[in-house]
Amino acid sequence: MIDFVNVKKAYPNGTIALGGINLHIDEGEFVFVCGPSGAGKSTMMKLLLREERITSGKLTVGKYDLQKLSNFRVPYYRRELGVVFQDFRLFPKKTVFENVAFAMEVVGTPRKMIVRRVPAILNTVNLNGKQNSFPNEISGGEQQRVALARALANNPKVIIADEPTGNIDPRLSLEIMSLLIKINKLGKTVIVVTHEKDLVDYYKQRVVMLNKGLITEDRIGGMYCAEV
Amino acid sequence: MRRYNPFYFIGQAFEGLWRNGVMSFASIAVLMSLLVVTGGFTLLVANINKNLDEFNSIKQIVVFCEQDATDEEIAVLGDTIGKLDNIEKVQHVTKKEGLEKMKAEYEAYSDVSEEDNPLPDSFVITYIDNEKVSDLDYQLKNLDGVVKVNNRLDLATKIESFKRGVMLVFAWFLVILGVVSFFIIMNTIKLSVFSRRNEISIMQYVGATGWFISLPYIIEGIIIGIIASVAAYFIEWYIYFYIEEMVHSNLQFISFIPFTELKGTVLLGFIAIGIGAGIIGSLVSLARYLRQ
Repeated sequence: MIDFVNVKKAYPNGTIALGGINLHIDEGEFVFVCGPSGAGKSTMMKLLLREERITSGKLTVGKYDLQKLSNFRVPYYRRELGVVFQDFRLFPKKTVFENVAFAMEVVGTPRKMIVRRVPAILNTVNLNGKQNSFPNEISGGEQQRVALARALANNPKVIIADEPTGNIDPRLSLEIMSLLIKINKLGKTVIVVTHEKDLVDYYKQRVVMLNKGLITEDRIGGMYCAEV
Repeated sequence: MRRYNPFYFIGQAFEGLWRNGVMSFASIAVLMSLLVVTGGFTLLVANINKNLDEFNSIKQIVVFCEQDATDEEIAVLGDTIGKLDNIEKVQHVTKKEGLEKMKAEYEAYSDVSEEDNPLPDSFVITYIDNEKVSDLDYQLKNLDGVVKVNNRLDLATKIESFKRGVMLVFAWFLVILGVVSFFIIMNTIKLSVFSRRNEISIMQYVGATGWFISLPYIIEGIIIGIIASVAAYFIEWYIYFYIEEMVHSNLQFISFIPFTELKGTVLLGFIAIGIGAGIIGSLVSLARYLRQ
């Protein structure tokens, strides 16, 4: 599904963010990507979202070779991903329903289908009855669930969550993580970038540890490696 | 390929205008002011030109005969003039008619008797083409029995060069105004787009294509352009009407192009500039945010 083959990423200022990593993620896997600040996690996400291009090596996601992907095709590639950010990135002036519906409008989904599908997705993330609220009228945990619902809207194969629990309290973090596990059980490949040791240790999924741009550990059912 | 509903984009554009009300209002106000100033200057120049053209359209030359010329000689001279090139009309003004006219125009000569009449017979010639007037002038001066030729050659040349000067100033003014307008409009839209850069980045993350993101902004630009140009049209109309009234009551010799003759051009011109400015401003402002 996702293949990093000797992927290097150097920025124009000379910083080497990734020093040649090899990583294979199968369809339907759940992977925690962990590591200290500056380890290369954000760069890895940027490469997966095709915000940045790799410097050398090969990176493929499904049928897409991201090195060869033209700017014109990037939007079509991104429709195959569902993305969740630490700061939620919701439209502040759109309601919960409109925020989720927007992802479907972008791909030209007929209005009738949007009206039918959005409540179902909101139900999946336990947001019944909130569809007419604006983001500033709901809690941080609920906002992250809206972001999750938006990520699911177009039924993507891969969900990428960048520090999804970074802005919410621990109790709600568990709720969000449980939802991600639930989504993974529906057959989606889920990649979660996180700092939160307790969550990683609690869920015992595959853990990829990054440090100084290299993978230092990759273990299924692993724990957060604090000594990196 | 999926089909997108055009009403979706129009709806999004109106939503954007409404939700960013202050910026929309600022864009409309700026564009409207620029159109009023540009339009006002254009109308001013059009009217200056009209008046200059009218002044220049009095295409007449006066030819004075010898004081003691006989009626026969004068009749022959009249025939000869009539056969020259570039002549539209030749009107004979007798000594007596000349004196009557002079008496009527200048009070100081009101008591001059016919015996003391200093004026010779003359011909008022209406010619066709301003360009060939110097040839005609030369031919007239060389005719037997002609003592003096009064032409407006110098005045015509001066008016032509004044017109060229006005047009040059107008062209430069338009260029400067155009550049200033473009930057003001672009910056206004840029501010509007900047305030929504988060929105644009979210759109990109959920897979919106460049045109999907741009279209509502472009439609927004068009709506801003239409509103600003229609408002500018009515303001221009009011200002023009007011100035026309004022000039008519104080300076009757100045002629005005009626607004009804200009309204179609003004409205279409305003709408074209308004829409153009809106579209270009939107595209230029969006460009940097749409680079992947």
